[in-house]
Amino acid sequence: MSAAALRVVYAGSDGRASVAISSLDFDVGPQETLGILGKSGSGKSSLAHALLRLLPGNAKFSADRLCFQNDDLLRFSQTELRRLRGAGIALISQEPALALNPVLTVGRQIEDVLAAHSSRSRDQRKQSVKSILRDVGLEDTARMMRAYPHQLSGGQRQRAAIAQALVCSPSLLIADEPLSALDVSTQAEVLELLKRVKQERRLAMIFITHNAAVLEGLADRIMVMRQGEVVAMGTFSEISASDDPYVANLISPRKTLAQLAAPAAITASGEPLLQVRGLSKKFVQSRPFSRKSFTITALEDVSFEVAECQSIAIIGRSGSGKSTLARCLAGLEEADSGEIVANRTNGKNNVQMIFQEAGTALNPRFTAEEIIAEPLLIAGKLTPEQRMERVSAVMDDVGFNPEWAGRRAEQFSGGQKQRLALARALVAEPRVLILDEAFSGLDVPAQARMMRLVLELQSRHKLACIHVSHDLNFVSLFAREVLVMDAGRIVERTSPSRLPESQNPVTRAIIEQSESLHAIGLEAVL
Amino acid sequence: MIRFISRRLAQTVLLLFGISVVLFLLAEAVPGDYFSEAQLNPNISADTLQALRSHYGLDRPLVVRYGYWLASVARGDMGYSLAYNQPVSQLLFPRLGNTLLLAVPALLTCWVLALVLGVLLAGYGGKWSERVFSLGSSALLATPDVLLALLALLIAARTRLFPAGGMHSLATADSGRLSSARDLAWHLFLPGCVFILSSLAPIVRHVHAEMKEVLQTPHVRAAEGHGISRLRVLFRYALPAAANPLVSLFGVSVGLMFSVVLVVEIVLGWPGLGPMLLEAILARDMFVTIGGVLLSALMLVLGNVVADFLLYAIDPRIRVQA
Repeated sequence: MSAAALRVVYAGSDGRASVAISSLDFDVGPQETLGILGKSGSGKSSLAHALLRLLPGNAKFSADRLCFQNDDLLRFSQTELRRLRGAGIALISQEPALALNPVLTVGRQIEDVLAAHSSRSRDQRKQSVKSILRDVGLEDTARMMRAYPHQLSGGQRQRAAIAQALVCSPSLLIADEPLSALDVSTQAEVLELLKRVKQERRLAMIFITHNAAVLEGLADRIMVMRQGEVVAMGTFSEISASDDPYVANLISPRKTLAQLAAPAAITASGEPLLQVRGLSKKFVQSRPFSRKSFTITALEDVSFEVAECQSIAIIGRSGSGKSTLARCLAGLEEADSGEIVANRTNGKNNVQMIFQEAGTALNPRFTAEEIIAEPLLIAGKLTPEQRMERVSAVMDDVGFNPEWAGRRAEQFSGGQKQRLALARALVAEPRVLILDEAFSGLDVPAQARMMRLVLELQSRHKLACIHVSHDLNFVSLFAREVLVMDAGRIVERTSPSRLPESQNPVTRAIIEQSESLHAIGLEAVL
Repeated sequence: MIRFISRRLAQTVLLLFGISVVLFLLAEAVPGDYFSEAQLNPNISADTLQALRSHYGLDRPLVVRYGYWLASVARGDMGYSLAYNQPVSQLLFPRLGNTLLLAVPALLTCWVLALVLGVLLAGYGGKWSERVFSLGSSALLATPDVLLALLALLIAARTRLFPAGGMHSLATADSGRLSSARDLAWHLFLPGCVFILSSLAPIVRHVHAEMKEVLQTPHVRAAEGHGISRLRVLFRYALPAAANPLVSLFGVSVGLMFSVVLVVEIVLGWPGLGPMLLEAILARDMFVTIGGVLLSALMLVLGNVVADFLLYAIDPRIRVQA
C-alpha cells in the first residue's frame, strides 16, 4: 500500500476546519509492519480510517495517490471499497468492548464478515468461524460463537475482534491502538497473538499506538506523527537515537521520568486523616425471571489508615474490590459493616475522588470554568467574585491554561480533562484525595506529568492520597505503603522498596505483568 | 418467569382496582345522574323518577353501589347500561373487537413504515432529504388529528372512492367470506390512514434520531470496516442496537392507541369504542364510561408488558442485569 499527499480535514460544528492529517506520504510493503507512533490527537486514528475511506461525513479527504496492490483506491466506487474492506484490508478498532455489536453473538458477527465477502454455504462459514476462533486462541469455540460481547472478558473480546478481522484472510491488517483498553497481562497476550498471526499469515500490518515499547520487536519501520505530520521515520533503533524531544519522549518515557525528581522527602505527621476499620461490602445480584441470586463479596474486613502528606497505593487486578473500596471511601457507596473515620475540619467532607475516565466524569456541555466552580456553587458560601478568584487560583495550581476557561469539556484531550477533574477536586479544598485508576487512560509521558503534578499538589496542600491502580507505574515514587488486594481482602501490606521481593502469588503476578510489557524505563524506576 | 408474570398480573389487578375507585369517586362528584335529563320532562313525575332511581339502586350509598358493581364485574357483566338496558360487557366487547380491528393493524403498519423510513433516512439521507423530512414531520406533528380525519372524510365524500363511514356495506352483507373481507378492508382504509398519519411523525422522528446516534458508534463503524453491506449494517447491526428506547416507545404507543383511535372513530363513523364512550359520557351512563376507561387503562398496562418482553427478547444485556 502506498499513499501520497494524504490530507484529512474535519469541519467543526462552529464552521472552523481542523486539520487532522496534512500531506502525508508513506508506503507499506508486503509482509512489512509499519508502526505509527504518536500521542493522542496526532491524527493516527484518522489515518486508519482514511486508508479504508471510512471517514465520517464531516471529514474532507484528499490524496494524490492511494494505492493498494496496484489498485487505485481513489477511483474505487462505494461497492468496490466495500468489497475491499475486510477482505483485502482489515481493521482492528481501538476498543474491543465498543467495536463489537452488543446485541449480536460473536459467532454471527464473524460469520457476517464471511458472508459479505464469499458465497460459501452456511455450514462452510460455520466451520471457518470455528477454525479462526481456535486460531486466535479462543478454544471453547461452541460457547464463544453463542456468546454476546458483554459475556466475554476484555482479552477475549479483542481476540474475537481480531478473528473478525482475519476471517477473510486480508493481506493488510490495520490495528488501531489494539492494546490500549486492555489490562497489562492481557496486553502482553494479545500482542503475542498479533505477532504470531502476522508470521503465520504473512500479513502486512500497520500498527498504531502511543506506546513505543510494543513496537520494539514488532515493527520493521516506525513513523512518528505529531499533529497530522510525520516527525520521524525509520527503524526502532534509528528513531531511538533521535534528538527531537517529542520523539525521545515517546520512545523512552524514562527521560521524562528522570525529570520527575524524587519528591521532597515527605514526612508524615502523626495525625491520621483517614482511618478505615473492618470495612465489608456484599453485592446481591439476581436475574430477571429467575429466583436465583448470587452474592459477590466486594470487600471483606479491610482496614488501613492514611496520614497527612502520605500516599498509599492500593493495587489489584480488576474485580479485586479496589474500586468498590474507593467508592466507599468517597461516600458514593454504603458499606455493610465497618467504619470510616475521616478527620473532619469545619464539619465538611474532606474526601474528593478522581475517577477512572475523566471523559465520562465531566459533563461535556459544561465549560471548564463551570466544571471547576460547581463544587463551590453547591457549597454555596462564596460570592460570585470570590468564586471566580478561587477557580482561577486552582486553574493556576494544576497548570491549566486560563484562556481555556470558556471551552467546553468535550473539546479537551484526555490529559487536559484529567487536569480539569483534578482542579474540580481541589477547589473543594479536600484533605484526602482518592485517585481511582485516574491516569490509566493516558499515555506514559502524560501519566508521568500528571503524577508529578499530584505530588507537587500533595506537598503544597498537605494532602493524603490514595492511589487505586491495577499496575505498578510510578508506585515507588510516591507510595509509603502498598496494599495488595484480591477478592475483596488485603492480601499483602508492603512498601515499594520491598515489593520486588514479595512472595505473595497475587503480588508476584501483578509485578510480572507490569514488567513484561509496560513502557521501557518504568521497571528501572521500580 | 412464572413469578414475573404472576407479579405483573397482581400489579395489573391492583392498578385496575385503584382506577375503578377513583372513577367511582369522580362520577359521584359530577352533579346529576342518568335520570337528571328526565327531570326536565313535565310528563314524568318526581315519584316515577324516584321509583326508577331506587329500582336501579342509584339511591343507595356509594360504598354499596361500588360493592354491587364489583360483584357484577366478578360475574363478567361489568355493571349495567341504563341507556341500552343490558350488561356493559355485552355492549363493550363487540365494540372493543371493532376498535382493535382498526387500531392494531394500523399501529403495526405505522411502526413498520416508521422503522423503514427512519432507518433509511438516517442511513442514506443527504442534506436535502433531511430538510424535507424535518419539515414534513413537523407539519404532520402540528396538524390536529381531527383535521386529518375531516380531510379523509372530505376525500371520501368528494371522490366516492371510499365509504364515508361504517364497517360494512349493506350490499355485501351475505356475499361470501372473501368479498366481505374485501369490503371490510375497503372500509378500513381511510380510518387506518388517518390513524397512521396521526401517529407516524413522532415515531419516525424517534427512530431517525436513535439511528443517527447509533451510526456514530464505534461498533457500527467497525462493521462497515469489515465490508458488511450498508443495508445489512443498518438493519442488522444498527437497528437492534438502537432498539431499546424504541421498544419503550412502542409500549407507550400501544397504551395510547385508544386515545388516538377515539377521534378517528368518532369523525369517520367507525363503530368502535370511541363513539359509544362519547355517548355514554354525554348521557351519564356511568358503568359504560367506567368500563371503557378501565379497558384503556388495561391497554396501557398491556403495552408496557409487551415492551418488557420485547426488550428481553431483543437485548441480551437485559437478561443478566440485576
